[in-house]
Amino acid sequence: MQETIAGNGAVIDAIAPLCTGVNAVRHNSDTFGNGYHWFRLDDPKSMTKAAEPLAKAGARLCMASAYNRRQPADPRQEICYHFELDGAVYNITAPLADEGASVPSITAFFANADWHEREMMELYGVKVSDQPNPRRLFLDERKDKGLLDGAVPLSVMMNGACSKDLWEHILKDKESDKA
Amino acid sequence: MKADTTIETTVTGPRTFSMPLGPVHVALEEPVYFHLEVEGETVRKVTLTSGHVHRGMEALAAQRNLIKNVTLTERVCSLCSNSHSFTYCMAVENVLGISIPMRARYLRTMSEEIKRVASHLFNTAIQAHIIGYKSLFMHTMEVREIMQDVKETVYGNRMNISSNCIGGVKCDLTPELFKYILGALDKVEPLVDELREIYATNPLVLGRTKGIGMFPKEDALRLGIVGPVARGSGICKDVRKDSPYAAYPLVDFKVVVKDGACCHTRTQLRFDEIFESISIIRQCCRDTPDGPLVAPMNEIRVAEAVARTEAPRGEVFYYIRTDGTDVPARLKWRVPSYMNWEALPVMMKNCNVADVALITNTIDPCVSCTER
Repeated sequence: MQETIAGNGAVIDAIAPLCTGVNAVRHNSDTFGNGYHWFRLDDPKSMTKAAEPLAKAGARLCMASAYNRRQPADPRQEICYHFELDGAVYNITAPLADEGASVPSITAFFANADWHEREMMELYGVKVSDQPNPRRLFLDERKDKGLLDGAVPLSVMMNGACSKDLWEHILKDKESDKA
Repeated sequence: MKADTTIETTVTGPRTFSMPLGPVHVALEEPVYFHLEVEGETVRKVTLTSGHVHRGMEALAAQRNLIKNVTLTERVCSLCSNSHSFTYCMAVENVLGISIPMRARYLRTMSEEIKRVASHLFNTAIQAHIIGYKSLFMHTMEVREIMQDVKETVYGNRMNISSNCIGGVKCDLTPELFKYILGALDKVEPLVDELREIYATNPLVLGRTKGIGMFPKEDALRLGIVGPVARGSGICKDVRKDSPYAAYPLVDFKVVVKDGACCHTRTQLRFDEIFESISIIRQCCRDTPDGPLVAPMNEIRVAEAVARTEAPRGEVFYYIRTDGTDVPARLKWRVPSYMNWEALPVMMKNCNVADVALITNTIDPCVSCTER
């Protein structure tokens, strides 16, 4: 018997042409029968074209997940946007192939994209074009942009684990602040 | 620096003054900084700055295996602690293709509703505290204590109950414990009814909450607001009904929706939801079948999945990517407060400075889980 997965046909038909790669459009459901639709865009710039039919249909932006790919053959970074519409979740992945790649802001369609975009900008250093409010969200301006984008050597990460090292760091920072 | 803790007023225009509030303030439960532009006692504009309790938990999650992350995610939030481990386990089960046993579905539902009753009572108690109605605050917390006792007796802990595990639940319940829970519900229900009546009719409470912090439905839709805040503005959204999970499709309950859109409405809505939760817990006590508690683990593949649940404050959303190892390549989550903070500038427009903390409380904010 063929499984029927709940979803909005018009929205799926509007987004699918933007995803022409192998397995770029997938549909599945969980054990409770809730539908999940997965799209992988060919070009991150078409994110606004994907957001438009979702906004028109009354979808809600739930979250945006930025992450780094670990295999050299993969795009460097990807962003997966998660939308909810009539109980089904639409996941749209925008691959950022190289360092300078950017994704357009979707705040014109989803006002609540503001925080999600600012978070991916500060934690992953993702470039979001036309972001109307590109301020830091959580992290202090003095922290480097894209803290989660890059490998941190264990020895550096462990600096705070030793109480002597930790206080030496704090005192050093204090001195440099005074200077 | 993130924010100056000193409260000072500086002239920024002909009639408008700039007033910092927080990040540490007596009426705020957690550190958050409001930059208020006020005209006399009236707030004209609100800018929010957070980031004072960012813990880097998502980076930690990418260094722990799938099982250890159950413990980590339970510590994202205190009041919604169970919702996080619950949703995380669902995300892992979705990515691994695990179907949990029926007994676990009921027990997960029950623990979630026990936490919801305690969480809603805490929020309403804090409202009485902010208003300055200390005896009502104490009384509400005393009633909540019955649910805290239930958690301690059944799960061994008052906040982080550690009930969920990947594939099911860790904590089984004996017939005596089901009987004990039913007895506690019989005790708490009339007391909550009495509290609901006080919050609905007391002139002191009404004077501070009715018509304050208005949040129109169109703004709630525009900003993607979730949970009791959205439902208090007339939006019928509840993950338990919209995308059923655990035993929610098998129990009878209704989604409480109100149109008042003010602080008073949101409080009354939470009280009404407590009665729905009590009904769900009773049904779980009655209908939980015998059987195994946990399904076996499956092979970890290269895959991605999402999961969402309705926590006391609204939708919790998890995304997981696995790369064939037992450490997730990415674990990302979004808490309901993250969506609901943006409601505050709308709610606070033209409110009194004295109402800022009160309005903030009605979105039931959690700063720690927002920032992770």
